[in-house]
Amino acid sequence: MPSMLELERIHKEAASAIEAARTVEDLDEVKRRYLGRKGILAKLFAGLPTLSADQRKRVGERLNALQHELTEKHGHKEATLHQQLQTTRTQAEELDVTLPGRRIRLGRRHVLTRTLEEMERIFFGMGFEVVEGTEVETDEFNFERLNMGRDHPARDTQDSFYLSGDLLLRTHTTVVDARVMVGRKPPMRILNSGRCYRRDAPDATHMPVFHQVDGFMVGERITFADLRGVLASFVRQMFGPQAVYRFVPSYFPFTEPSAELLVWFGNRWLELAGSGMFHPRVLEMAGIDPTRYTAFAFGLGVDRPAMVRYGIPDIRLFWENDLRLLEQF
Amino acid sequence: MKVLLSWLKEYVDIPQTVDELAERLPALGLGMERVERHESDAVFDLELPANRGDLMCHVGVARELAAANRTAIRPPATAARQDRTKTADAVHVDVREPQLCPRFTAVLIADVRVGPSPRWLARRLDACGVRSINNVVDVTNYVMLELGQPMHAFDYDLLQGGGLIVRFASPGERLTTLDGVARVLDSKTLVVADATRAVSIGGIIGGTATEITASTRRVLLEAAIWDPPTIRRTAMRVGVRTESSARFERGVDIGGAEAASARAQQLLMEVAGGRIASDLLDRYPSPQPPRQLALHWPRVGRLLGIEVAQTEGEAMLRSLGFGVTKQGDRLTVTVPSFRRDVERAEDLIEEVARHHGYDRIPEAMPVEATAQATRAPELDAIRAVRDVLIRTGLTEVLTVSLTTPKVLDELRLPSDHPWRAMVPLRNPLIEDHTHLRTTLLPGLLQVARGNIHRRVMDVLIFEVGRTFHSSGAAVLERRRAAVLMTGRILRGAWNTPEQVSTATFFHLKGVVESLAAELRVGRTSFTPVNVPWLHPGRAAQVSISGQPLGTLGELHPDVAASAELPVGVYVAELDLDEVLRQAVFQPQFTPLPKYPSLRRDLAVVVPQGVSAAEVERVIGEAGGDLLESIELFDVYSGPPVPAGHRNLAYALSFRSSDRTLSASDVDTAVVRITAALQKNLRATIRE
Repeated sequence: MPSMLELERIHKEAASAIEAARTVEDLDEVKRRYLGRKGILAKLFAGLPTLSADQRKRVGERLNALQHELTEKHGHKEATLHQQLQTTRTQAEELDVTLPGRRIRLGRRHVLTRTLEEMERIFFGMGFEVVEGTEVETDEFNFERLNMGRDHPARDTQDSFYLSGDLLLRTHTTVVDARVMVGRKPPMRILNSGRCYRRDAPDATHMPVFHQVDGFMVGERITFADLRGVLASFVRQMFGPQAVYRFVPSYFPFTEPSAELLVWFGNRWLELAGSGMFHPRVLEMAGIDPTRYTAFAFGLGVDRPAMVRYGIPDIRLFWENDLRLLEQF
Repeated sequence: MKVLLSWLKEYVDIPQTVDELAERLPALGLGMERVERHESDAVFDLELPANRGDLMCHVGVARELAAANRTAIRPPATAARQDRTKTADAVHVDVREPQLCPRFTAVLIADVRVGPSPRWLARRLDACGVRSINNVVDVTNYVMLELGQPMHAFDYDLLQGGGLIVRFASPGERLTTLDGVARVLDSKTLVVADATRAVSIGGIIGGTATEITASTRRVLLEAAIWDPPTIRRTAMRVGVRTESSARFERGVDIGGAEAASARAQQLLMEVAGGRIASDLLDRYPSPQPPRQLALHWPRVGRLLGIEVAQTEGEAMLRSLGFGVTKQGDRLTVTVPSFRRDVERAEDLIEEVARHHGYDRIPEAMPVEATAQATRAPELDAIRAVRDVLIRTGLTEVLTVSLTTPKVLDELRLPSDHPWRAMVPLRNPLIEDHTHLRTTLLPGLLQVARGNIHRRVMDVLIFEVGRTFHSSGAAVLERRRAAVLMTGRILRGAWNTPEQVSTATFFHLKGVVESLAAELRVGRTSFTPVNVPWLHPGRAAQVSISGQPLGTLGELHPDVAASAELPVGVYVAELDLDEVLRQAVFQPQFTPLPKYPSLRRDLAVVVPQGVSAAEVERVIGEAGGDLLESIELFDVYSGPPVPAGHRNLAYALSFRSSDRTLSASDVDTAVVRITAALQKNLRATIRE
C-alpha cells in the first residue's frame, strides 16, 4: 500500500497529465489510466481492506478527495477541449456571408389585374355582388338595351368590332348590367369587370382592348346622392382620404341624369368614371318598373387611371409585358 | 367647339371672369378642352354632349349661362327688309324625301357684290376656327355659329332650271365637292340637285359647280333641316365630316330655320349689299307641335336625393326656354323645338340638377338592403388558378385577344387543326388584329421574344384568359391558362447545377402538378404526345381521369428558331374550363396519422423504354392498402446497371391507420411488389 507521500505524487502526476492533454483522445487516455475501472485509483481503492482500521480511514478519505478533485479537473479540461474543438470546426465552416442569397423567383400579378382586383375589393366591401359576363355580345344588349339605337351618335365614340351582323366585341362592361338585370327582382347591387374592345388604333393613350369596372344598384329609394356617395367613398379608398374629386354633368344615352367623375391626381383632372341614374327606358327594357324603382350605374376606367396612378407614360407598355416593368409592381 | 366670350356677351350678361367661366362651364356639363386668352377676350374650346345640338352655337351657350345666372338671353334681331320687286315664282323647290328633309327653306338674293368680309366678321370666324372665304359664304357660317343653323349659298345663275330638288343620288352620279374631291355617289346619298345634276350632298357639303365666286350676282340661300341618322350614316360612308354635318347629326332646331334665314338675309344685305328678290320659300309639310311633358315635382327629390324648391326649378326651366304651367306640384312643361334631347320627365330633372349644381348633391349612402356581397364562383376559381401560378414563381402577363391566323403558322399548325377555326372581325382596323385568338401560346411567345430581344433572358410567365372559337353562327368563349418558362429559375445560383437552377421540362411539369394538386383535381396523368409546336421527345399531354386538359413540353427547336427564341423554352397550355369542372375548392380535413410509418427503399432496374409511370402503377397495384406513398429519389444508368437498362430508386412508405406496423407486415408487401415488378416489367431489384 502506498504511503501518503506516494498518494501525493500520484495526485500531482495525474493533475499534470490532465493539464497536459491536448486532445479529447489524450484526455480520454489519462482518464482511463487514473480514473478508469482498472485505473490507478481503482487499484488503490481495491487495496484499502488490507489496511488497518486507522490507516484505512485516513487513506480512504484522502483517496476519495483525490478522486473527486481529479474528476472535476477532468470535467473542466474536457469542456475546454470540446470548446476548442468546436471553435476549430466552426472556423473551418466559415461562409462568405456577402455572397448572394439563393432566391426562387417570386411571381406577381400584372399591374392591371392588381388595379382591377383593388377596385373590385373596394366595391365588394360596399356590398356589391361581383358577377361576370362574356366578351362577345349582341348589338341588342351592347347598344339597343342601353338606349343606343342604330343611328345614335354616341355609337361614334364606341366604334365596335363586329363578328357578324349581330355579334360584336362588347364596347363596355355596362352591357353586363343590362344582362343581369333581366329576370332579377330589385333590390340589387351588382359589379362586374373585364376586357372591352373599341375600334381604336393603338397609340400612347389608346388600345383596341382595355378594361372597365361597371356597377349598378336598383331599389325603391336609390338616388343620385347615393351614387355620389358610393363614388366618393370609392375615390377615398382608392386614392386616399384626402383625394379631391369632381362630379360634373355629362351625357350617356343610358343614364339620365348623367355625371362624370374626375379625380385630381398628379396635377391634373383624371377622368375616372361615367355614371348616372339608369334611364327609365333601360329599366323598362330589362323588365323593371321605372315608376317604382330607381337605379344608379357607373363605369370606371382601369387602364388610364392605372397609367396616371403609377406614372406609366404609354398605355401600350401594359401589353408589351416587359418583365422589368411588371416586376416593379 | 369654339365660342368667343365677347360674342357670347352680345346675348347675355356674364358677370363671371374668364377663370370663373372655365370652372363654371364644366360644372354645367359643357366640358372645357382649352381656354385661349386674348387681351380682353377669350375663346373657350368646348366638348359638348352628343345629344345637345342646340349648344353648337353662341346663342345656345348663352342660354345656358343665362339660366346659370337666372337671367334671360337677348337673341339677335332678325327682321329682314323685304324688297317688293321680287317675283314669287322665281324659286321653286321640290323635296322628294320629306321624311329625311322635313324642312327646306330657300330665298333668292339679288345684286350681291361678292368680296372679302368686313374685319369684324372675318375675325370672329377665325377665332372660332372657321376660314374666311368671301362675304357671302362667311355670312352663312356666321349664322351657323350664332344660331346653330347650317346653311348653304348657291350661285343662282349657275343652277340649271332655276330651282332645287331634294332626292337620292342616282347610282354613279358625280359631284365635285367643295373640298376638291371628285366623288361618285351611291343611291343612298341624299343630294340637293338642280334640273340636271347633284349640286350638293344635303346637309354635308356643297359642290364646286355652283359655288359662290367673285362673279356671283344672285345667291340662292338654303336653310334646311336634315334627318340626323341619315346625315350621320352618309357622312361616315362618304368620309366627310363638316361643321354642317356635325350639327345635323346632333339635331338642328326645326323651328329655327326661318329665323336663321332671316338673320342671314339681313347680314347679307349689310355686308354684301344684296336685295331680297323672293319670298322665303318654306317647304315644311308636317310641322310638329311642341312636346309637352308632365313632371310631378316630388319625383325630382326622389331621383336626386335632395330637395329643390319648386319655384327655383320652374325659374331654371323658364330661363332655359321651357314653358311651364302648373297645378300644385304637377307641372306641364312645354319643350322648345331646339331641345330635341328632352323627351321625358327625367330629362327635365337633369336640367334641374345641372342648374341647381351637381356639387350641391350630398354624398349619401344607399340605405336599401340587398343581398350580401358575393363573388361568382367562377371568378373565385380563376383567381385561385392565378394565385397558384404566381406561387409557383410565374409572373402574370396580359396579351391582346386580337390577332391574325399568321401566328398559328408559327406553331406549324396543320390547316385542319381546331385552333384554325378562328373568328374573324368583320371590320378589322389594323392587319395585326384581324381575328380573335384561339390559343394563348403565340401571345406568350411574343412576350418572351420581346423580353429576350431586350436582353431579359429569364422569362417565367403565364396568362389566364379567354379564347374564342367558331361554333356555327355562335362564338364560344373558353378560359385557358398558358405558361412559358425559359432561363434561370433561381437567382444567386452560383455553384448550383444547371439542372436545378435553370428551367427544364420537369420544372414546367412541376408547375402543372402544383396547379392540379392545389385545385385538388384528382389523379393527373402525363403521356407522351406529338404536337407540331413541341419537341417530339419532350412533350406530354396531361389528363385528369382520362380527360385531356392540355399539353406541355419543350418548344420544338425549329419553332424556337423561327420564333427567334433560344433553345430551352418550355410551354404549356391548359383548358381551364375542364380543370375547373374537376376542381375542389372546399377541402375537408383528413385526420392526421396516429401510427408511425415504415420506409423501405427499392432500387428497380428496368429496360429503357419502361416508363416511370408504369413502374409506379405496378408498385401501386401490388402494394396493397398499407402502401401510403411512392417517391422516386434517384434515376441512374451506367455501370453496374446493365446496358439498355436504368435504375429507378423509390422510397416506399407504409402505414396502417389502426396499428403500428411490424417489419414482417412490410416485408410481405415488398415481396409482393418485387414479384409483380419482375413478372410484369422484367425488372430486377438491386439489393
